Parts: sequence; structure tokens; C-alpha cells
Amino acid sequence: MTDTLHLRLAPEAAQVTTLLDALEAYAEAQELPMKAASRLVLLADELAANVVMHARGATFFAVDVSRGPDAVTFTLTDDGPEYDPLGRGEANTSASLEERALGGLGVHFVEKLASSSHWRREGGHNIFTITLDAAAE
Amino acid sequence: MQITSSKSGALNVATLEGRLDTATAAEAEATLIGMLAAPGMVLDMTQVRYVSSAGLRILLKLAKEAKAKGAAYSLVGLQPAVREVFEISGFDKIIPSYATLAEAVAA
Repeated sequence: MTDTLHLRLAPEAAQVTTLLDALEAYAEAQELPMKAASRLVLLADELAANVVMHARGATFFAVDVSRGPDAVTFTLTDDGPEYDPLGRGEANTSASLEERALGGLGVHFVEKLASSSHWRREGGHNIFTITLDAAAE
Repeated sequence: MQITSSKSGALNVATLEGRLDTATAAEAEATLIGMLAAPGMVLDMTQVRYVSSAGLRILLKLAKEAKAKGAAYSLVGLQPAVREVFEISGFDKIIPSYATLAEAVAA
């Protein structure tokens, strides 16, 4: 059993489903506890959706996942325009129902659920890496 | 994402199963909006493994529609991972949720 996963996909909405199915299978094979598994799938969805919906001109996105003793590392690479998802403001999570704006939550989830996150631009690619607590139950 | 429709007393009950994510959100939204009517609707989330921000947008939109229509609206059976997402987004404070369908119907 391998403890890494690599996928290279077309930047289309349907491919996000392919990615999440593969990550669920990976989490099960790795016997990740429930919260660790669901955080991985959730953040992958948020980050991949960003690329699929907003990265105009991207020809692919790629995902690499690896598992260490304490952490799961997830890296998303795409060849869309330079974009740092962390460079946005915080979502307003205390607004009432009427005031609540739709959107901005994906980045908020990364900030709250990932142990660390890092973006860099290299060789014409956005490379976004997060680490997750592999023991979160 | 599978959605089944049933009734509990006067309320419409939508039972969701699977992931409420980017890819499934739009279709789920159309189905759920169609089921929303007074006196109200309960979403049974017991078999939902994940809710992403795209899914939360739908749940919020339903809450606003329900308010506009004067319909009751609540969620039932949030799994721990889904509950975590609700808490960090503050949705637990704006959308009522209950442990069981019986509690939601009695509320």
C-alpha cells in the first residue's frame, strides 16, 4: 500500500468529483480518523473549486497527498494566473442571517482547519500546500 | 448526492445522502428550493459526510427563502465533521439544528 497520492486533472467541475472520490478512498486506505479525512476532502474541494471556477486559462490542476506520522500534506498545483488564496480578507462569521454575504468561506476554512498553509509561485504555477493533523478524530 | 422527499406531520422532510460539495451543490439547490414551502421543511443530514462552502451557501439561501415564505426551517443529525464546519463558519448560530427528526418536528 502506497502512502502517497498523485492526480493530474483537467480544470473542470466534474473533475473535482474525481478528486474527492480519490481522496475518500485514500483516507480510507490510510485509515485516517474521521475528522482528519473530512478536513482533507473539504479543503481539497474548496481549493480545487477555486481553480476550476476562477483560474482562467489554466490547463490542469494537480494534487499530491502524502502522509507522515503526525501530518497529512496536501499540495495543489495549477498553471492558471498568479493567485494567492490567502491574500484575501477574513470572512465575517458573526453576521446575522440578513447581513451574511455568500462566499469567502473556503479560505476561512483553510485558515481554521489546516495546521499550516503556504502559497508560492514557481515556474508559472501556483503551488499551494497545506498540512493537516493526521490524528484529528 | 441523493435527496429523498417525505413528510413528517405537516413538514416536508428532505433526506440528503453523500457530499454536499462544489459539484453537487447546484443540483441539490434546485431540488431543495422546490421542496421549501410553509409550514416548513427539515433537512435530515444524518447521511451527509461533508458540507463545503458551496453546500453552506445553499443551506443559507434556503434559510433566507424560508424566512421570506414564513416557513420553518431546520437541520437534523449533523455529523461531527459537518458540525465542525458549521461552528467555524458561525452557521450553527443562524440555522437551527436538532439531534433527531422528532425534536425538529416538535420545535
